[in-house]
Amino acid sequence: MNTTHIIGVFDSKSDLLAGIEGARSKNFIIDEIYTPYPVMEAIDALKRKSRFTIAAFVIGFLAVVGVLSFLYWTSVIDWPINYGGKPTNAFPSFIIITLVLTILSVTLGSLFIFSLRARIYPGKKYFLPDERSTDDKFIMLFDKNTSGAGFEAISSVLKASGASEVYEKEF
Amino acid sequence: MDTKVIFTKKFYFITYGLMGLGVIGLVYGFLTDTHRTWANLLLNNYYFLSLALGAAFFFSLQYITQSGWSAMFRRIPEALMAYIPYAAIIMLVMFFGLHDIYHWSHEDAVAHDELLLHKSPYLNIPFFMIRMVIFFAAWILLTRYLRKLSLQEDNLGGQVMFEKMEFWSKIFIFVLALTFSMASFDWIMSIDAHWYSTIFAFKNFAAAFYHGTSLVALIAIILHKKGYFKDMNEYHLLDFSRYMFGLSIIWGYLYFSQFALIWFGNIPEETIYYAKRWDNGWMVFFYANFIINWFIPFIGLLPQKLDKSINFVYFICILLLVGLYTDIFEQIMPDVATRPQFGLIEIGVFAGLAGLFLFAFSKALVKAPLIAKNHPYLEESIHHHIH
Repeated sequence: MNTTHIIGVFDSKSDLLAGIEGARSKNFIIDEIYTPYPVMEAIDALKRKSRFTIAAFVIGFLAVVGVLSFLYWTSVIDWPINYGGKPTNAFPSFIIITLVLTILSVTLGSLFIFSLRARIYPGKKYFLPDERSTDDKFIMLFDKNTSGAGFEAISSVLKASGASEVYEKEF
Repeated sequence: MDTKVIFTKKFYFITYGLMGLGVIGLVYGFLTDTHRTWANLLLNNYYFLSLALGAAFFFSLQYITQSGWSAMFRRIPEALMAYIPYAAIIMLVMFFGLHDIYHWSHEDAVAHDELLLHKSPYLNIPFFMIRMVIFFAAWILLTRYLRKLSLQEDNLGGQVMFEKMEFWSKIFIFVLALTFSMASFDWIMSIDAHWYSTIFAFKNFAAAFYHGTSLVALIAIILHKKGYFKDMNEYHLLDFSRYMFGLSIIWGYLYFSQFALIWFGNIPEETIYYAKRWDNGWMVFFYANFIINWFIPFIGLLPQKLDKSINFVYFICILLLVGLYTDIFEQIMPDVATRPQFGLIEIGVFAGLAGLFLFAFSKALVKAPLIAKNHPYLEESIHHHIH
């Protein structure tokens, strides 16, 4: 099961971005990037698109429709109560509950969807190709079988763009 | 860097033409329906004053938050502030129209009204005018001082002026929060002197900030399309539309809060306000207000692609300027007229004050270079890039 990975280590963010540029220009396929802090430019440079916002919008929309119809069912169809002469379908007062429950649904829903998509669950063992990425190094990971080039080619490109070291590791 | 905006002769002809139309509208109005004319004068003056003060608030907020992205646009709100003295003059002229708009200004009516009698130590004509003078004096002095500091920075440079402006911006928003709240109570809410809402001032303040910001964005976009602001990019647009998006939620929240509490409380003294706004054809404005000012900007500005599209933001800004008019129209007119009217008076007075507003704005804008020099954050603003 173990595959050989090529790992490029960078000292700074600008070197990492130059490395991504270099790797992309040679059509190497980058597997993953590990950074000490979130680097939005890396996501942009990898041209990865997130559909997370769409998921959040869909959850929110479903929550609004769901909560409103639930409130309609409880207070109009199933158990109508006359509160101070108001119509049983007291729409303006439903809005507040809908607002609060929509926020809750979107928060929880996006947490679960993100966990599903990223395959994270409680008790999962963390995976770090190079532990220095939790300190001050920027790590670029290539899968040797799918990277599209050999070690020598990748190494020379990464070194040219400022990588402090490039090595192979099996895991 | 030293470019100044050049307004063509045609532009000034248009402003004079609009002002001429305003004079015609006013003369026609005072000959036919004084009641409605005063109300329109109040409506439109408050409309443009809201925009000017909202822009001034936006301006001072940029200093308090030490925002870098907006550094190159700050001459726009500075120039918009120039309308405040004109608004002061028109508002003081309103003295002659108090009886036509405010029920509490009739002494014989107050004498037979327990509630108005109770409110009369605060709500009487001399104190009303004194408050008005104080509000305008505070606004004019502070905005003029901020403008002066900004112009001094062009020559001096360094951080001294920036820190000074940050300090005075803090004082300005504190003063504005107090005075604008009382001003909106005085000028708008007291038209229906029996009714009150404690969230009213906050709602109108949010509206001023919301629409003032959208006007700043609109002018920035127009100037960009004319060839100024060459460094303006999609990230500036994104920041503008985030402002508008966030403020649309705040506005919608406050507008709905006022309505929901009154609707749910169901106390006749309070519901009369909305009962009036639901009858005789006013209901259109009640819903139009919510759709224009909250629903369309909220849904439209959700996707980031539209946030960065210059034509879409342009459209939303223009829509919001219509929205503020609808908002204030819905607040003032149902208490003055029995059913919605829209005719020569409305168009004339709006055109006249719009002409005056554009005139004041353009005169102030050409006085100084469009992009302020020596601002500590100017480089950051020019190379603005976000995610």
